[in-house]
Amino acid sequence: MSQIIITDSQFNIGWLCTGRQCTAGLGEKLAMRWVSPRFERQDFSFADLDRLSNRFANVLASLGVGKGEVIFTFLPKAPEQFTAFLGGLKAECIVGTLFSNFGDDALVDRLADSRARLVVTRKNLYRKIERVRDQLPALKVVILTDADEDISSNVLSWNHLMSAVSDGYVVPVTTPDTPSVLHYTSGSTGKPKGVLHRHRSVLQQSRTTREVLGLKADDLFWCTADQGWVTGTSYGIIGPWSLGISQMHFGGGYSAQHWFELLQNEGVTAWYTAPTALRMLMREDCDLFRKIDLTRLRSIFSVGEPLNPEVIVWGRDTLGKDIYDTWFQTETGAIMIANRPGIPIRPGSMGKPVKEIEPGILADDGPPLPDSEHGNLCVRSGWDSMFSTYLNNDTAYSSKFRDGWYHTGDMAWRDADGYYWFLGRSDDVINTSGHLVSPFEVESALLELPEVAESGVIGAPDELLFEKVVAFVSFHPGFEFTPELELKIRLHIANRLSSIAIPQQVFPVDTVPKNKSGKIMRRVLKARYLGQDAGDISTLEESL
Amino acid sequence: MISIEELNPIFRQVFDDNSIDITRTSTADDIDDWDSLTHMNLVMAVEQAFKIRFALGELQKLKNVGDMLDMINTKIRT
Repeated sequence: MSQIIITDSQFNIGWLCTGRQCTAGLGEKLAMRWVSPRFERQDFSFADLDRLSNRFANVLASLGVGKGEVIFTFLPKAPEQFTAFLGGLKAECIVGTLFSNFGDDALVDRLADSRARLVVTRKNLYRKIERVRDQLPALKVVILTDADEDISSNVLSWNHLMSAVSDGYVVPVTTPDTPSVLHYTSGSTGKPKGVLHRHRSVLQQSRTTREVLGLKADDLFWCTADQGWVTGTSYGIIGPWSLGISQMHFGGGYSAQHWFELLQNEGVTAWYTAPTALRMLMREDCDLFRKIDLTRLRSIFSVGEPLNPEVIVWGRDTLGKDIYDTWFQTETGAIMIANRPGIPIRPGSMGKPVKEIEPGILADDGPPLPDSEHGNLCVRSGWDSMFSTYLNNDTAYSSKFRDGWYHTGDMAWRDADGYYWFLGRSDDVINTSGHLVSPFEVESALLELPEVAESGVIGAPDELLFEKVVAFVSFHPGFEFTPELELKIRLHIANRLSSIAIPQQVFPVDTVPKNKSGKIMRRVLKARYLGQDAGDISTLEESL
Repeated sequence: MISIEELNPIFRQVFDDNSIDITRTSTADDIDDWDSLTHMNLVMAVEQAFKIRFALGELQKLKNVGDMLDMINTKIRT
């Protein structure tokens, strides 16, 4: 069985995923089969990844960007994503990844807060950075992966830079507590917070890749998550490659036909995807799946939102496969609780804790609760992939820990057999398609529109997305809610924040309910949306 | 009869990218921001621009921009 081997106290993730595999004799083994949106195939061995990431580490050195400085990728799925990520880690930079659908505000929030020094992107995405670059004084260099020549003295060509440096690089011995990966996550208030991880996270990521996903040396693994999110880096890069396991990555978007042809034709043996994608597949004609030979596919895993039991039944009936739901967060860095082979699946449950992880269900005032009681899902602090801080926000970080427990913000309960069951969030954060959306950020972006006077945003149940973004908006005098204005709202949110934050429903209201201190009472909006009793509204200042 | 040149400004508006030049063979894989969520924005924008309505099942059959253009023109004629 594959397992990670740390030698000479070298915890560098970039090296463990490439150079370490070469020294273990896997240099010529397939690391990544890249399948482009046009189905062109390109194979990268571990030696290829090692050389390419070495080159990028040398590029960083040539540009004067080094240890502890923040760099980002802002790319759709592309081979350069992996090279830049691993090369940046080799150079001991803090490497962040940005979802390629982020809009201007989302970019500023992340690049300005982190004081990012360098971004790797493409020409058509650079236009977004260009528009906000005057708000990013720390940003020194932008590298364009599809520019043949340098655009200016600080907008440079990837090919030009990569061809000018050596493919040899001596990776510094990296301590386990050296900062490594940065992902931003949304809360119910304030700006997104930068979740900072350390190189030691690789221990938990590799352990769970082996023990939960069950990957073995001869597997071909496909994780469909975008590298802009934690699953895309923890399990689309680090976990498998730290164990010398081959991966397939596909640059195209969702297509049931294409996805299942890839599973069959490439011989994928383990597949990690999302509930929303699985629910979309459930809507497809069953004939499509009957024509596909999934003999080689051993396991299907899911992450992001709770997996409804209907999906598990569909997987068994239509695909002849079990689908295992897993749970973790950006902050936990790796899978904490999971259904997995070897443990009977309880459809609808999160599964059981993974080895060395101690979750607990705690009351609001602190003490652990017995089985069956609903409470706050917490994890005993100290696991290897635990985040080290929220960048520039130690206060928020500290507020997440009490009496040695990390408070996840999720509500859950545990049954008598040790299975955990998700109930919902304890805050207003919206989980849509496995991505967290801050209602505050959407409300703020809505107020940028000249027509909008007030806004209140909630998450509402949705059969496909798990939760959808719903906006309640009041307009200034003289403006009416029209289909044209609804489209304007949708486009504004997509282009300022992200496609995932687009309100799926917009309701015009006279006023948005607020308490006497002016705080938007989202629970009142949600209750009214669901046709439920709003509970105590004694502090309500205004009504709908 | 709507032409590709008349459709192009809608794509530029929806995806906030003035460098977009669609062709009949363009697909979601050619435009970075085109995903299932922005696709609904595109549909709404096309419906409003040409005063037509798409049924849900019709949209799933569209393979590329050419298919969309043909469907728009069919709806306008009827």
